[in-house]
Amino acid sequence: MSRQSKTALSRLPNTASDRRVKISDAIYQAFVLLFTGDATLWQIVWVSIKTSLLALLCATPLAVWSGYQIASTAFHGRRIVIWLLQAALSFPTVLIGLLLYLLLSRQGIFGSWHWLFSQSGIVAGQVLIALPVLTALTLSAVQAADTSYAETAITLGAGRWQVMRTVLHEVRFGVMAALINGFGRVLSEVGCAMMVGGNIAGETRTITTAIALETSKGEFAQGIALGVVLIAFALCMNAALLLLQGNTWNAEQIR
Amino acid sequence: MSTTPPLLHLQGIHKQYGERELLAIDELRINCASAYVLTGMNGSGKSSLLRILAGLESAQIRSASFLGQPVRLQPYPVLLRQAIVYVHQHPVMFSGTVADNVAFGLRLKKTPYQAQQVQAAMLWAGIAHLANQNAKTLSGGEKQRVALARAKVLQPRLLLLDEPTSSLDGEAREQIIALIPTLIHSGSSVVIVCHDRELIALPDVQRLKLRDGQLFFRIDGS
Repeated sequence: MSRQSKTALSRLPNTASDRRVKISDAIYQAFVLLFTGDATLWQIVWVSIKTSLLALLCATPLAVWSGYQIASTAFHGRRIVIWLLQAALSFPTVLIGLLLYLLLSRQGIFGSWHWLFSQSGIVAGQVLIALPVLTALTLSAVQAADTSYAETAITLGAGRWQVMRTVLHEVRFGVMAALINGFGRVLSEVGCAMMVGGNIAGETRTITTAIALETSKGEFAQGIALGVVLIAFALCMNAALLLLQGNTWNAEQIR
Repeated sequence: MSTTPPLLHLQGIHKQYGERELLAIDELRINCASAYVLTGMNGSGKSSLLRILAGLESAQIRSASFLGQPVRLQPYPVLLRQAIVYVHQHPVMFSGTVADNVAFGLRLKKTPYQAQQVQAAMLWAGIAHLANQNAKTLSGGEKQRVALARAKVLQPRLLLLDEPTSSLDGEAREQIIALIPTLIHSGSSVVIVCHDRELIALPDVQRLKLRDGQLFFRIDGS
């Protein structure tokens, strides 16, 4: 636990009397960390972004496909599927973490993969967290679309895949919103990454698990710095979403 | 006249909505290069019949033939899909320009097509000057003409038009009405669902009327 790779933090006063760091000092130190290109800090940010993007890359094709299928085909038990899907949106991530922990631990079914306490484990958890969000939002985007799009494509000779491509293209802003929401959700998730990743410095320490750890140690500077990064990300992603949604009209220029 | 087989010949069309029998048609015969208007009260099943012919709705059909060749409508065969195009009452425009929309059906095919075909269809519909405009920004009449060009460019044997003038008036409506005879002269058959007297009164147009689920041929106006 006491691997001292936190170079910048170790320069901070660390005696018992100094531990009651003033918040203003912590904020100051946070920005020092941010702007001096602190290696530990950016390593943590990189792990977070890398695992989130990878998870999104794995989850998106499956989620968009199933969202489209559920929205556009009539089958028995469709309402039950939608009910379960929407219920899955409110599953706590620690529960998914627990489930995955049991599956990946040495006695688990997938124990031989050695994914517990590795980045692969984090990615697997994030895939499970992202799937319901992406699927449910794609589903509602497709469901809200005029059925005439699919019918027009069909009558003009489109095959099943071509119809799907056409409809998804028409609702691409909804799908984009799903992606950005999914990214936000996996990036800001703590419970699962903590349990399955194990918060190993330089390995599986993500932005959120690092904030949780540093705060519990009473060292706020790195936590605040990472929080600033996280908020900056959230702002950027939502600004992008806002720009896209405000301009569905002249979509061609954005694309 | 009747030595050539009809383009599409259906016998025994039944369509049920719950308890209610919407359609109970003995025979529907659509000849080559002929135009038909299909009239009837609201809810008489005109649109449903058109959508059944387009393979967008299901129905029980005793027997069907296309140019003398027996076919089934469920699942809808490729042969019919290539020959029959349906145009919605309120056509939707796909993202992209007017030219993109007109080329939509051609692009779906794997074989290359010529820009000239698209240009010709746009000229026919009088929308060539809008070629590079975003299709979603068009007026109702312009959208209807794009939809007609989008269908015509595929050179279908049979065009099914669902109330093409219902939401239009004035010049926009006149422009659509003027296009219909040129479709017939180019060798396509057309079935038009409509209430529009001017369309019904077009020359060389045969009248079909749906009443109580049954289809009546009307030879001349009354």
